[in-house]
Amino acid sequence: MEKMPSEKFVSDALEGATKGALEWSSDKISSWIKKLKERKLAFIKEQKTIDIVKEQYRSGEGSFYQKYVADKELLLLIRMGLTLRKLENDKDRLMNLRDKIYKKYKAKGLHIAEFVQNRLLNRYVGILIDELDSLESLGRDIEDVLKNIEKHVLFVQGFEKPHDIIIKSMTIINSHSPNIFVVSGAKSAAQIVGEIRGKLASSLKDYELETISELEIENLFFKRILHKPL
Amino acid sequence: MEFVSLKNVSLNSKTLLLSELGYGSDGEFVLDNGGNKVIDKYIDIPIRVDNMVILPGSEVILDDNELSVSLYLEEYGEDAL
Repeated sequence: MEKMPSEKFVSDALEGATKGALEWSSDKISSWIKKLKERKLAFIKEQKTIDIVKEQYRSGEGSFYQKYVADKELLLLIRMGLTLRKLENDKDRLMNLRDKIYKKYKAKGLHIAEFVQNRLLNRYVGILIDELDSLESLGRDIEDVLKNIEKHVLFVQGFEKPHDIIIKSMTIINSHSPNIFVVSGAKSAAQIVGEIRGKLASSLKDYELETISELEIENLFFKRILHKPL
Repeated sequence: MEFVSLKNVSLNSKTLLLSELGYGSDGEFVLDNGGNKVIDKYIDIPIRVDNMVILPGSEVILDDNELSVSLYLEEYGEDAL
């Protein structure tokens, strides 16, 4: 099948713009359906939907994770995270996509997508690369953090009390001893994360803290300190 | 690949298009030939006529959203669109 660039966007919008809604003739519909069956045509609503999705397959970030993440569902959630990031200036579409991800993949799937959206996975991978044994282990480690995201990341909600977040953090660390532990908060939760930073840092003596702040997002990366044998 | 936008198309024309493909509409949702609401097979929601897309591959009718389109590409290949 001949591939044509997506920019070759056939729209009759202009044709009917002055007349209101477009009316199609039976002949026109029949000719388009013939092309649809030949897989040469698609009926779409927003060109933006197609463009944003395809962009995540071609982007450098998407290609990087495609190389190292074999699990297809995780890879899809990574692409959804990249898509959420792309939609950050379009609140309606952003909320619509978050809702769809939540309904299909539940809270864990949305957390994985948010982990990517907020560039936490990129920073996490950066830390992994600093101590990289092999490329094979990089893929394994990326999949491990995503599959077990609740053991590596605490997503703080805006209604949570600082004391409760500290207790939750300590529980996760004592139960799972992650090499890297992330506390992440957005919007009102970002302020709460900022408030507990000092207390958490002094409680987690085996970890060194790296804070990554962005507009309305506060992320605390706790990286386990490796003690060299005497 | 040619893309034909349904965005500014009349309900009458969309219904005619669906009819040619063996589907129908109650004016709000896409219906199958038994009168049942057609469900987006990837995200399990009824498809509204004003938010539908029809993609190649056994005439796949989906809701217009990034997740459904991504899952479509997973099934039919990145070059399907």
